[in-house]
Amino acid sequence: MIARLGTSVVGALRSARDLWLVLLSTLAGVIRRGGAQGELVRQMHAIGNKSVLFVVVTLGFIGMVMAYEACNQLSRITGDYSAVGSQFIRLIVSDFGPTLTGLMLATRVGAGIAAEIGSMKVTEQIDALRMSGVLPIDYLIVPRFIASLIMTLLLSVIGALVMFGAGGLTAEHSFGVNPSIFYDFTYVRPRHMILFMIKALSYGAAIPVVAGFCGLRARGSSEGVGWATTAAVIGSSFAVIVLDFVISAAALFLTGGDL
Amino acid sequence: MIGDKWVAAVGAGGMKIAQEVGGIMILSGQVLRALFPPRIDRRELVKNLYKMGNRSVPIIVLTAFFAGALMVLQAGPFVKKFGATSLAGYGAGYAVLREIGPILIALMFSGRVGANNTAELATMTVTEQLDGLRALAIDPVAYLVVPRVLAMMVMLVALTALGDLVALAGAMVVARGMLDIDWMTMYHSFADTLKPFDFLLGIYKSIAFGAAIAMSSCYFGVAVRGGAVGVGKAVNAAVVAAAVSIMLLDFFLTYLVGG
Amino acid sequence: MSVAPVIKLTDVGKRYERHDVLGGISLEVAAGSRLGLIGPAASGKSVILKLVAGLEQPDRGSVEVLGTEMVGKREVDLGAVRRRIGMLFQNYALFDFLTVERNVAFPLERRGGMTTDEIAAKVAERLRAVGLAGSEHKLTAELSGGMKKRVGIARATVADAELVIYDEPTAGLDPVTTQKIYDLLSADQIRTKATVIAVSSDVIALAGFVDEIAFLYQGKILYRGPAATIADAPDPIVRQFVRGELEGPLEDVRRDAS
Repeated sequence: MIARLGTSVVGALRSARDLWLVLLSTLAGVIRRGGAQGELVRQMHAIGNKSVLFVVVTLGFIGMVMAYEACNQLSRITGDYSAVGSQFIRLIVSDFGPTLTGLMLATRVGAGIAAEIGSMKVTEQIDALRMSGVLPIDYLIVPRFIASLIMTLLLSVIGALVMFGAGGLTAEHSFGVNPSIFYDFTYVRPRHMILFMIKALSYGAAIPVVAGFCGLRARGSSEGVGWATTAAVIGSSFAVIVLDFVISAAALFLTGGDL
Repeated sequence: MIGDKWVAAVGAGGMKIAQEVGGIMILSGQVLRALFPPRIDRRELVKNLYKMGNRSVPIIVLTAFFAGALMVLQAGPFVKKFGATSLAGYGAGYAVLREIGPILIALMFSGRVGANNTAELATMTVTEQLDGLRALAIDPVAYLVVPRVLAMMVMLVALTALGDLVALAGAMVVARGMLDIDWMTMYHSFADTLKPFDFLLGIYKSIAFGAAIAMSSCYFGVAVRGGAVGVGKAVNAAVVAAAVSIMLLDFFLTYLVGG
Repeated sequence: MSVAPVIKLTDVGKRYERHDVLGGISLEVAAGSRLGLIGPAASGKSVILKLVAGLEQPDRGSVEVLGTEMVGKREVDLGAVRRRIGMLFQNYALFDFLTVERNVAFPLERRGGMTTDEIAAKVAERLRAVGLAGSEHKLTAELSGGMKKRVGIARATVADAELVIYDEPTAGLDPVTTQKIYDLLSADQIRTKATVIAVSSDVIALAGFVDEIAFLYQGKILYRGPAATIADAPDPIVRQFVRGELEGPLEDVRRDAS
């Protein structure tokens, strides 16, 4: 059993190294701009437009739940709802907005990218691209990378606003919290917005790289595509969670707990 | 006219969603029918329980750990500002048991087990194995789908329970490591403020989530069309549908249960 | 004075997961000649093609194609030699996000050096040659298997490459279409004087197209000789395979292996 654990650790390390190489190649590709121009717009549409409804619905509902729970807790302790809105938006901006959007996109976009690239891999289209002198990373991953950076940021903003909006509605409906008190942005500081951007961009970078990596590794036929898509969803979701933790911890550390 | 096209697109999208929801309902009906009286293949059930549980424990445990850690990080600023160390456990624990725990674990489960399951069923469908079963007078729903649905529901509940504990442990570790709150304070904070109902609510949610993930996963697996490309799309659709269902169910359950 | 061989494999070995797919292969293909590769399933035929195209790297040995050593080269550096190679993949590998026309034009566009009109003219000529004139704007999903194969051939031959690789050009096609395809490939090779290497499981039809046949068995080249006399090869395994006989050394070995 130790041997099995050992081999899987070695395998995981090797994969991590390969993943890191893909990330570096992608960044090099971005600088090189070897990718196709039209592809970028197509990818932005694929990632952005098609995910808007999904993000709005999921973040709307979770926003309602969180506001509900927060008010619930307060009603047990103090009954004073004056700070709920301001603290809610602070948490949304510094964490839940980008992270929940990131998780949802890891599922939707991660699976989509891996499925597309994976099925190209198993039908030998990747090899055909190589034979025509195209670098798969430049042609396939770089446009998706740039599109994902832009779209994840945009969708995080939309998601955060929807979450806040829906939360306010719930607070008003169930606990009678006055909207003008709830929608209070005064506690949001520049450092929260910076955190927001760092997180959204990190997730936007991680998802296509992980998903593209899984797609390019697909082997066999249908099972290979299925495996690639599954691995992409898990990998991107987990990456979002770990990145969230690392960035949040770093922020806490750097600001001495003053967030 | 832009308006016309947009309305048509929304209409088409709505039809598609309705079709899928309808399909899932029909499959659910078939699954229920196969349960009364129970016509379950024992071996398939055990095989799936083992496969799904075994495979997902590591990733779920890791996710849960980070989930707990994240909650404490979010509570961190409050705690430092007000010196309310005894409330850190309450804040983190409440959120973990009732919301973050069940949701994150369900999302990860959907990615790890749900997606994998869809990929397997989809591959079997594409390679005509389901037709092969029918030709042998074996009902694919009773033989394949029902054991998987049951296994997924049981496993998610078990994993949520386990995950909740790990998350609380993760919260304690981060509290100790980054906020200098010692073990006993956290422990007492949990023990004094968290009620059994908080834990149970999370479990009830996980039952609902499990059903949603299982039905979504199985439906898109057997409704797949096309070859390798179709498998990728099926997995994509399954995880997206599961994510939306999780958020929706979370909302309804939290709202309905109140307190 | 002898011209350098277009393909030269020297003691090439390749293993997948503890299994030696190729165990020390040496092979030379002269310029302008046509070589066929045959052998039982999973004997490494497609692997050799991939090595020649630089899509895979061998574990040992050297692979020299069109004067360039393929082993140890990075992807970027293989671009130059790949521009002189055309390849037909076993499952066509057509780009499903492009139309037929764009698929065939793709290698020309990546190469550069031709105007849009020149490319369009070349594409039209190729599609006419494979009998698909008028299908320019179709997507690959709308094509039948035979049609996809022909688009693949058009794409492989559009750049008048010096070396053309065909991986199962007639698999799954009926005998008449098979003959038509080989006639097409033959006419093409006569016109461009390219070197051709082809893998096929349809030995009889292949023998009518290529000059020489090499028989690959358990990772080694068991026989190489003129296509016309392959059915009377000295090696009994080769004879049994070519004639499609059930009794013989081939069957015994397979029984032992299972």
